[in-house]
Amino acid sequence: MAKKIMIVDDDPAIVTYLETFFEDNGYETCAASDGTEATKLLKQEKPDLITLDLDMPKEWGPRFYRKYTKNPELKNIPVIVISGMPTNQYAIKNALATLSKPFDRDELLKIVKDAIG
Amino acid sequence: MNKTILLADDEEDIRDVLSIYLSDMGYSVITAEDGLQALDIFQKEKPAIVLSDIKMPVMDGIELLKQIKKRDPHTEVIMITGHGDMDLAIKSLKLDACDFITKPINDDAFEIALKRACDKIELREQIRVHNENLHRLVQEELHATRRQHRQLFNEAPCYISVQDSELKITDANERFKQDFGDKRGAFCYEIYKHRNEPCLDCPVQKTFDDGLSHQYETVVSPKKNHPYNVLVQTSPIKNEKGEITHVMEMSTNITQVRKLQDQLSSLGLLIGSISHSIKGILTGMDGGLYLLDSGLRTRNYDRIHNGNETVKLMAGRIRKMVLDVLYYAKERQLQLTQINTAEFALDVASAVKTKMKQAGVRFKTDFGSTSQVITIDTAQMRPALINILENAVDACVEDCSKDAHEIIFSVKQNNQSAIFSIKDNGMGMNRETCENMFTLFFSSKGHKGTGLGLFISNRIIEQHGGTIIIESAPTEGSLFTIRIPS
Repeated sequence: MAKKIMIVDDDPAIVTYLETFFEDNGYETCAASDGTEATKLLKQEKPDLITLDLDMPKEWGPRFYRKYTKNPELKNIPVIVISGMPTNQYAIKNALATLSKPFDRDELLKIVKDAIG
Repeated sequence: MNKTILLADDEEDIRDVLSIYLSDMGYSVITAEDGLQALDIFQKEKPAIVLSDIKMPVMDGIELLKQIKKRDPHTEVIMITGHGDMDLAIKSLKLDACDFITKPINDDAFEIALKRACDKIELREQIRVHNENLHRLVQEELHATRRQHRQLFNEAPCYISVQDSELKITDANERFKQDFGDKRGAFCYEIYKHRNEPCLDCPVQKTFDDGLSHQYETVVSPKKNHPYNVLVQTSPIKNEKGEITHVMEMSTNITQVRKLQDQLSSLGLLIGSISHSIKGILTGMDGGLYLLDSGLRTRNYDRIHNGNETVKLMAGRIRKMVLDVLYYAKERQLQLTQINTAEFALDVASAVKTKMKQAGVRFKTDFGSTSQVITIDTAQMRPALINILENAVDACVEDCSKDAHEIIFSVKQNNQSAIFSIKDNGMGMNRETCENMFTLFFSSKGHKGTGLGLFISNRIIEQHGGTIIIESAPTEGSLFTIRIPS
């Protein structure tokens, strides 16, 4: 069964980009545009990996991360931070990787493959 | 020198002889028959020298001497004693008589006694004049030094105040008085900051504690002008024992420097925000190009179309960003249009309705008559008012002192202006916050605020020739009155 990746980003253009790219590489996807929406979706979809933007309206990335990692069922889902914020590497310490926008998609794919196959 | 001599003797012969003798010497002589009469004349005539017999009826010479010395210790009294009255003569010297001569009177002895009295008087006069001159000289010198110090104190290009350990102002220079009034006796924090309690990190308090000079940067509010940014420096004032009795506080106006810093840091902020946007746009562009590329490869026209749309969207974003930067860099011309005042207010109100509802704040509006119009740049005025309304919501959310919160948004109009008023019963503000709220990057919301919102609102309202007046008190809520010329 295909692995599922949840994309969290408030920019629809970037969501479409990541959805298409991941699907082209054999993954299933689902997407949310902010932290609150992502929290809801996370429980329904139980993805295998999350790509997370930091700067989003309503609830920003790190807050969403802190919330879901408190839930024992969800806390082991790996997260890749993809953000344009200048100090993004400090935002989520335990992230699988932190990529700066604009990111190298081959590098992203390699990280995803290494993590969930 | 006063050449009057009072001569007191009960023997008429002696009075006559001595009078003639003294008159020949150039003195004017007044005579008395007894002590009491002599004292009476003494009080009226104030002679410099008194010649007095010791043994007289009614009041004797010793008593007269005592009374004269009591009234004017500088009067020289020469006693005339009978032969063998040595005890009385000595007693009179103890009572500060100048000299004594014995009867029968020897001319030489009499002259010596008079000369001694005159010398004493003259010497005393000389000392007095000398003392007076010296005193005047010292006073003049002291006055000049004081004036010079005062001038330095007053003309120093900063506010100087001297404060006691309670932070009460005990002295201040002219510059301070001009901008803050003569407020000696008032508390520093009242005058500078309109606060009811000392500021946190008060540098004067620190100097009282450790005796060292301290620096501190803050904003102060003079009675007329806009708030100033000042750099405060303190130094201790010590008494002879080395104890700190007062602290001198010097505040230099650095508003211009701060303005420049603000401009630089807002430029930094702008660059940060631009770079963040560019990163997002580049990522979106990568996405669009990926769709185009893969669409062309697989001849998937949907994908090609989507990719093309994304690239167009990103080009649009770049255009908008460039325009924003231009707007920041240059004051934009207002694009004025005429609009129905009530309709505009309704539009503003509907933009904040959801936020009010989510925050549980009751939102009342009163837009009155619908026929009047105002000429504004709606694209700018709309966010300016929304910003103030959203701040009112925040002030209600932050306030825990009341159960229910309410915001009233109303507009009235007369021939000159449209008056928008936004009244909330939220947490309110102290005077310090009221005065600084339009300063770039001033925020009372901690990490939640950027300090940009009200700065921009104010700028837009000022560009329209309007004004904002704020009435607010902690826990009582705030009233913003925005007046826009019609």
